[in-house]
Amino acid sequence: MDQNKTSKEILLRMVKSFTENEVAPFDMEIDHTRSYVNDLLNKIKETDLLSTMLPKEYGGAGFDGSTTAEMINEIARGNASLAVTLEGHFKSIDQIVKFGNQALKDEYLPQAKSRIIAFSMTEPSGGSNPLGINSHAKHVGDKWIINGDKIMITNGGLAEIYCVLVKTAPEELSFFVVDKDMEGFEFGKQENFLGLTGVPVGEIVMNNIEVDESHLLGKVGMGKEIGDSAHNDARVLMGAVLTGIMEHELDIVTDYATHRKAIDTPIIQMQGIQRKIADIAIAKETTKLLYQKAAWLKDNRQDYEEEAAMAKAYGSRSAVKSGDDALQILGGYGYSLDYPVEHLIRDARAMELAEGTVEKMRTEIALIEAKNRA
Amino acid sequence: MTAIEENWIFAENDLDEINPVTFQLITKMNQISHDPVVVILIEKNAANLEKVLSAYGPDKIITIKDDALATGDDLEITDALANLIEKKGTPNTLIFPATVAGRSIAPRLQARLQTGLTADCLDLHFEGNLLIQTKPSYGDNIMCEITIPECRPQMVTARPNVFSSEKKINPNLEIETVSNIQWKKDDQLQIKSRVLLAQKAKDIKQAKHVVAIGRGSKTAKDIEGAVSLAKKLNASLGVTRPLTDLDTFTIADQIGQSGQTIAPDLLINLGISGAVQYTSGISNAKIVVSINTDKNAQIFKHSDYFFVGNAQEFAKSLEAIL
Amino acid sequence: MKIVVGIKQVPETTNVKINEKTKNIDRRGLGGVINSYDLHALQAALAIRNQVGGEVITLSMGPDDFAVSLQETLALGADKAVLLSDRAFAGADTLATAYVLSEAIKKVGQVDLVLVGQQSVDADTGQVGPIIAEMLKVPQVTYADKIDAFKDHLVIDRKLENMEQTITAKLPILLTATDKANRPKYTNVVEIAKSFDKPIITWHAGDLDLDEKRVGQAGSPTIVRSISEPQKVAKKNHRLSNDPATAARELVDILKQKNILTEDK
Ligand SMILES: Cc1cc2nc3c(=O)[nH]c(=O)nc-3n(C[C@H](O)[C@H](O)[C@H](O)COP(=O)(O)OP(=O)(O)OC[C@H]3O[C@@H](n4cnc5c(N)ncnc54)[C@H](O)[C@@H]3O)c2cc1C
Ligand SMILES: Cc1cc2nc3c(=O)[nH]c(=O)nc-3n(C[C@H](O)[C@H](O)[C@H](O)COP(=O)(O)OP(=O)(O)OC[C@H]3O[C@@H](n4cnc5c(N)ncnc54)[C@H](O)[C@@H]3O)c2cc1C
Ligand SMILES: Cc1cc2nc3c(=O)[nH]c(=O)nc-3n(C[C@H](O)[C@H](O)[C@H](O)COP(=O)(O)OP(=O)(O)OC[C@H]3O[C@@H](n4cnc5c(N)ncnc54)[C@H](O)[C@@H]3O)c2cc1C
Repeated sequence: MDQNKTSKEILLRMVKSFTENEVAPFDMEIDHTRSYVNDLLNKIKETDLLSTMLPKEYGGAGFDGSTTAEMINEIARGNASLAVTLEGHFKSIDQIVKFGNQALKDEYLPQAKSRIIAFSMTEPSGGSNPLGINSHAKHVGDKWIINGDKIMITNGGLAEIYCVLVKTAPEELSFFVVDKDMEGFEFGKQENFLGLTGVPVGEIVMNNIEVDESHLLGKVGMGKEIGDSAHNDARVLMGAVLTGIMEHELDIVTDYATHRKAIDTPIIQMQGIQRKIADIAIAKETTKLLYQKAAWLKDNRQDYEEEAAMAKAYGSRSAVKSGDDALQILGGYGYSLDYPVEHLIRDARAMELAEGTVEKMRTEIALIEAKNRA
Repeated sequence: MTAIEENWIFAENDLDEINPVTFQLITKMNQISHDPVVVILIEKNAANLEKVLSAYGPDKIITIKDDALATGDDLEITDALANLIEKKGTPNTLIFPATVAGRSIAPRLQARLQTGLTADCLDLHFEGNLLIQTKPSYGDNIMCEITIPECRPQMVTARPNVFSSEKKINPNLEIETVSNIQWKKDDQLQIKSRVLLAQKAKDIKQAKHVVAIGRGSKTAKDIEGAVSLAKKLNASLGVTRPLTDLDTFTIADQIGQSGQTIAPDLLINLGISGAVQYTSGISNAKIVVSINTDKNAQIFKHSDYFFVGNAQEFAKSLEAIL
Repeated sequence: MKIVVGIKQVPETTNVKINEKTKNIDRRGLGGVINSYDLHALQAALAIRNQVGGEVITLSMGPDDFAVSLQETLALGADKAVLLSDRAFAGADTLATAYVLSEAIKKVGQVDLVLVGQQSVDADTGQVGPIIAEMLKVPQVTYADKIDAFKDHLVIDRKLENMEQTITAKLPILLTATDKANRPKYTNVVEIAKSFDKPIITWHAGDLDLDEKRVGQAGSPTIVRSISEPQKVAKKNHRLSNDPATAARELVDILKQKNILTEDK
């Protein structure tokens, strides 16, 4: 028996059944109440879904990037917020695994089983241009003293561990790992975002937080590199979230168009409707291929930055546009807060901003294309 | 073992009462069988359930009168039936009701007799001696025709309430009581049985009968009437979405696209217009009855039977004769 | 207590269609899953083991890809799994299936309790359990809604159409579990990898003491002649009389005739 293949199949069976029974039925309620009802946070801990890609030596399940992305895809089909909460945790684990020193790994990775980790770069002064940040860390003896204010953090308030980008010198960016239980750590205000409303997005304030040398992630000055790496890992998973959203859209429109009749003909017989449904399906499948390719490249230790950016840049606009088409297919009901379509548009729209705006991603894609030919 | 040209039906005796499915099976076999239809009955010594069975006109009733066996477990009954067949010969067919008891005893007996058994049949007919058995699979999404060409008896369990029952007088009815049937006592099980009182109204998703009320049936008096009708029918009460605005009802009671999908055997709609968001939740209901004052109401298109008129009045009349 | 649980792998949805060309059930693109009732049977077995001690062995007859389901049972907590796989087993009906399963249970040896699902969700017969019980010559309790375990006996609640029963059962015995018996747990994600430390044993026909005439198609008295999709019956749209009392009477008569309402006593 091929152990990897069998493990993956068992995981996906579990995630399908979990999504079908525990997540999808609560999709609307999660959106409306802006919270993970049905005790979902405990359920993802109990089933160890939080440890899906955590390496085995730290008590995790050790699944590869492709499997993890497919798992996120499946959950997003039930509810995109929960998938993004997991995505934020996984990409943070990824950076500690890649860049953390052994002491940091030994301290925090085993905790990742039950404590969510977040990744924080954006500040009130801006997200797209990291050198504009104000947070900083000062080396005092063998400690670092961290001060600053971080906003718009996925899982901010929910996460207990934060990877934070700070300046260690005027032109020098570095990452540190801080714990919510540290002296000087405070939660700030929660964002009142339009979509992905299940995901808490919030602020943290750091007031003279003192950490050991081991809490430096990577080396001094590696801030940009680590930030880019986190973006890449997050974008693969966001491609999976967006695929899940489009699958959810397809689930809704195919069912509706088959049952809704114009006089006596189901509207799925009409070419205008067919075209919209086909376009959603094409966009879904394209996004899926992009994120799967990016994940495959990542698992095989090849460059995946460009494919990851494509998956998110293409997938996010496509999912918004598909949501708009889905809304139109459902007519007036599509415009109702009592139907799920409108929140899928809001959810998808977040991913044109988070983890790098689509503008930034297009810049990256264009520069890579040019570089490949230089 | 000698083969006998008879078709046997196992009568289900639930604590001294014949389960009506037995009558349905007798009627069906009377319609399709050229050979004698024989009912096998196990009952207490003092009982006389042959009388009830006779009313449906089988050709013969074979009764095993045995107090212990009448409350016997599956293994004991299997033993006794195998012994009966040893004495009487192997019938061409042997039909059990597809009840919990039938579906438990029949496969044991099948294994004892080393023959075939088809589960939960929805239709039966003969081609000569061969019984053609139609059974559902994949949760009723697929139908298959199954036969048992080489072995006898051809055994099936048949689903209750698929065939109708009709009383019939059979002047040649023969009743035989057999007394020398042996079976081995099983002392591993101790069974305590109680009659199930009318079951509590269930969650509408599982309910066999549902009374649903809509905006045309929403006054306190209407609701009271619907509740008491539901009680009489042992039905659960469901509502359309507008009624969830009332404190009494929640989304768990709401039928439809943004509520529950139901699949009862009987659904009675009182004062419901039949919006798609509602009807998409009832497409699996078997018999749909709707009452509406509007003779053009959409809901009638989704109904087997409909009454044009006041819902409360109809509900009252119906309740009165139940 | 030594417990064997029967596991059947079934298509992930029962919403299947018939392929126009092959006239057979179209299973393209359908993954497999463990028959849902079997998860209840397994959960019951694990609970009993955790309470009174012992061992849970899962057993499945089917093609090699059923091994995935057995692996899943190991991740869910079973101790050991046995796959019965052989071309000779193909085409088996319930009699031939239960024959092979019961011979395998005999080979496992010293089994106190056999647990199977109430029925499979694809073929839907519910016959395999009782046939195994008969072949093992042990009593059975089918449709178990609640199972309480004690050192040397079980107490089981079950429901029939018109009665309920509480049964005290001595071992050895076979039970079939309903979906009320418990709430199966989800597979723990980290346990999946660990489950590969536990064994799946494969037995072929030659490993069991089988009469070849009773195996596979040859040992199956039932023959599936044809399959079809059920016809959706159109709604009748029959209008009842205008007078409510008359209409109500008409309706009651119809419902009685259709066995929806039972005859009055
Ligand atoms: C749901 C959600 C979750 C988030 N989660 C996190 C998180 O976990 N951690 C975190 O650190 N941040 C997070 N963010 C913040 C997100 O990363 C920033 O919003 C994003 O980087 C843009 O930053 P900004 O909002 O400050 O806009 P700005 O950077 O001010 O950009 C404004 C506009 O100018 C364009 N622009 C700016 N600079 C450039 C440039 N150099 N080239 C081309 N165009 C440019 C942008 O594309 C945009 O259209 C999240 C945001 C959202 C919506
Ligand atoms: C996003 C969305 C989701 C929805 N989801 C659902 C859903 O899940 N379930 C659902 O039910 N609805 C749902 N709806 C609402 C649906 O569109 C209809 O509005 C609703 O089903 C109508 O309920 P009704 O039939 O009770 O009321 P009405 O449409 O007002 O119908 C009342 C009917 O009662 C009849 N009537 C009046 N008086 C009497 C009397 N004395 N005796 C007999 N008949 C009488 C009238 O002729 C009329 O046909 C949804 C709507 C939206 C927009
Ligand atoms: C459409 C169709 C209709 C059929 N109808 C009949 C029929 O009427 N009569 C008949 O004799 N055969 C029938 N068969 C054949 C039957 O499906 C097979 O014999 C099958 O292997 C076992 O029957 P089941 O799925 O009904 O199991 P069930 O008896 O419903 O299963 C009950 C329990 O037994 C255990 N179990 C069942 N199969 C296995 C297995 N392979 N390995 C381990 N445990 C198992 C499981 O715990 C399961 O929950 C039919 C097959 C098809 C495809």
